[in-house]
Amino acid sequence: MSSLMECSFETIINIFHQYSVRLGHPDRLNQREFKQLVKKELPNFLKKQKRNEAAINKIMVELDTDGDKDLTFEEFAVLIGRLTAASHEEMHRTAPPGEGHSHGPGFGESTGTCQSQGGPGQTQDGHGHGHSHGGHGHSHNH
Amino acid sequence: MLTELESAINNFIEIFHKYSLEKGNYHALYRDDLKKLLLAECPQYLKKKDVDTWFRELDVNQDNAVNFEEFLVLVVKLGIASHEDSHKE
Repeated sequence: MSSLMECSFETIINIFHQYSVRLGHPDRLNQREFKQLVKKELPNFLKKQKRNEAAINKIMVELDTDGDKDLTFEEFAVLIGRLTAASHEEMHRTAPPGEGHSHGPGFGESTGTCQSQGGPGQTQDGHGHGHSHGGHGHSHNH
Repeated sequence: MLTELESAINNFIEIFHKYSLEKGNYHALYRDDLKKLLLAECPQYLKKKDVDTWFRELDVNQDNAVNFEEFLVLVVKLGIASHEDSHKE
């Protein structure tokens, strides 16, 4: 059984490949593929940008560090890092006031991707820091 | 409702906090926290680089803790390594 981290990477890689194989180089995203991916797979994380072609192109140009007009997975991984940071910031921005560490709903409720993964000891409480995830709680009902 | 990709990205935040909230600063992974995280989440990437090497590499500001931003370097690196592995299998 794979860990939560492994399963999450697998999910990301599979989605990258779903788009990268469509046109041109099978392991790279061209501009059309990247646009399709942003619109379909990142609608909540890139809410402002998704309807704005120029904004999506701008993200692509920023990520395409070697300037070959295609995004390799290495270039795409930088976006994953950035979005992780943005989502974490949003969770803190939307957190209920109070002591301890808490998160708000952030950009929205998780679908629970990979949440059935993880070895023994995968308990969400017991760290005693009042770590609440605000709106979406920790319901893992599947 | 988030997409599958967005939810997978949020899992990294959950993984970080699972270990960072154990003690001390809420956004700090100390050496033993990082060790637990790596052993539980991705032991295969401890073969070439041991815990101390990872810790030194990630603790860019050398304050003896890996903060959230520093943890993202691990996410990017392991993501790239997993992608490479996906083409070897």
